[in-house]
Amino acid sequence: MPRRARAAARRVRPLGLRYALAEGAQGFVRNGLASVASVVITAVTLVALGGALAVAGALNYVAAALEHQLQVVVYFRSGVTPEEVVVARSRLEQIPGVAGMEYVSPQEALRRLEAQLGPRAKFRDLLEHNPLPASLVVTATGSDRLRAIAAAARDLPGVDEVRDGGLVLERLLAVTRAVRFGGTAAGVLLACVALVVIAGTIRLTVFARRAEIEVMRLVGATAWFIRWPFVVEGAVTGACGACGAAAAVAAGYALLVGGAARALPFVPLPGVGEVALDVVWKLLVWGVVIGVTASLLAVRRYVRV
Amino acid sequence: MRTGRAPGDGHVDPTVRFSGVSKTYPNGIEALRDVSLEIGTGDFVFIVGATGVGKSTLLKLIYREELPTRGTVSVEGRDVTRMPAREIPYLRRRVGVVFQDFRLLPRKTAWENIAFALEVTGTPPPDADRRVTELLQMVGLAARADALPRELSAGEQQRVSIARALVHGPNLLLADEPTGNLDPATSWDIVRLLAGISAGGTTVVVTTHDQTIVDRLRRRVIAIDRGAVVRDDAEGVYAAEG
Repeated sequence: MPRRARAAARRVRPLGLRYALAEGAQGFVRNGLASVASVVITAVTLVALGGALAVAGALNYVAAALEHQLQVVVYFRSGVTPEEVVVARSRLEQIPGVAGMEYVSPQEALRRLEAQLGPRAKFRDLLEHNPLPASLVVTATGSDRLRAIAAAARDLPGVDEVRDGGLVLERLLAVTRAVRFGGTAAGVLLACVALVVIAGTIRLTVFARRAEIEVMRLVGATAWFIRWPFVVEGAVTGACGACGAAAAVAAGYALLVGGAARALPFVPLPGVGEVALDVVWKLLVWGVVIGVTASLLAVRRYVRV
Repeated sequence: MRTGRAPGDGHVDPTVRFSGVSKTYPNGIEALRDVSLEIGTGDFVFIVGATGVGKSTLLKLIYREELPTRGTVSVEGRDVTRMPAREIPYLRRRVGVVFQDFRLLPRKTAWENIAFALEVTGTPPPDADRRVTELLQMVGLAARADALPRELSAGEQQRVSIARALVHGPNLLLADEPTGNLDPATSWDIVRLLAGISAGGTTVVVTTHDQTIVDRLRRRVIAIDRGAVVRDDAEGVYAAEG
């Protein structure tokens, strides 16, 4: 029915989701370079946030692994008497938070070291006598008890040195907190910049469509109906920025893990895929939140009903 | 003052009532000073006065584009000065507005410009398509439905904008200098069209400084000077006698 083509176009269509999506996408495309700038600044913002998230996540992972090693190792000085070991044992048993302990004699310590290092190391051939001290491996009921147990063990007779897993853990957690705080602070500052840039870009669309907005207001379109296309534009900007940022964070993390695996082969780190998945959705949420907030800022004055 | 149309429907509220309304803009310009007036259902009213005496402000207060500094404005019995923002769109669907500069969207045809007003307000009524076509017929532009605004004469564009203002079936039509951009003959055509709409029961308020059409039509005239109502004649002329 080609003859009816023109008349068929005379249809009143309810303007719904598709209209908002189409207008929003059009606004994004029409703003060209300004949209690109918006996406870039959003991506930079989210790289700061996402980088901090990934690093803090990895540190947390390490800390969680360490937390399972609830041990304080109490080394005796050489020449410790069996009586002193017995006294140390019985005193340690009375400290709250001690779940159990194991005595490791110098011979046992050497055997364990050999087992750990494999058959190539032949200490017995190299050493005239066993240099390893006797020790007590004390297991705590929780990581919060490690410091107290270690402190008490230092005052025991015959004790040379106490190695406390808690200190390492505490330092690690402090670093994690610092990374998370620094990343969040940088992210928030950058997010403010991103808000201004995105809002400025969307204002270009508002300006381009001001006649249409004026008519919509006059004929009784609701404020939200008028806002939706701009919200879509903001969300698209935020989502694009988030995808870019997620890719950058995943790539950066892959490099970091590769380096760490060579330098610290014993430290367990979460896999790249795992981190990427975790970061992607968080960044998407943040990107869209920033974009939508910016769009509402941009239309606030113009879509006052 | 009221025309007494439709007696017995129990509807005693005038369509528009101003009670002690003053409006001072933030820049200090006093647009209206203690204006009180009523416009009854079905009335046809000219608001006359020189440019800048507050005629447009008076209309803006009715469709809640502006809020008065003092006093209340009620439309169909509702105080619009205390209306929450989310209800304003629904007020605007009951009040059609026409402007001197038509405010048509340049990339939409005459038909689409009218349809747009239905499209942006959510669910169009089932007979929306027919309604748009009928409105175009009513304003005498059925043959120009697919023309873009720039292909239409100024008078034709104003007809499209009048059809758009009526698309929600409002009880009140406001026209702010509707003939300001038109030659005398076309102006008279537009005013006759508005009078015809009024005869159908719609209240019509027209601001103008066009003496010829006011004197020729002989309808109610409210004259405003420096923000105040200086004259209100049931069958008035533009200028005061003498």
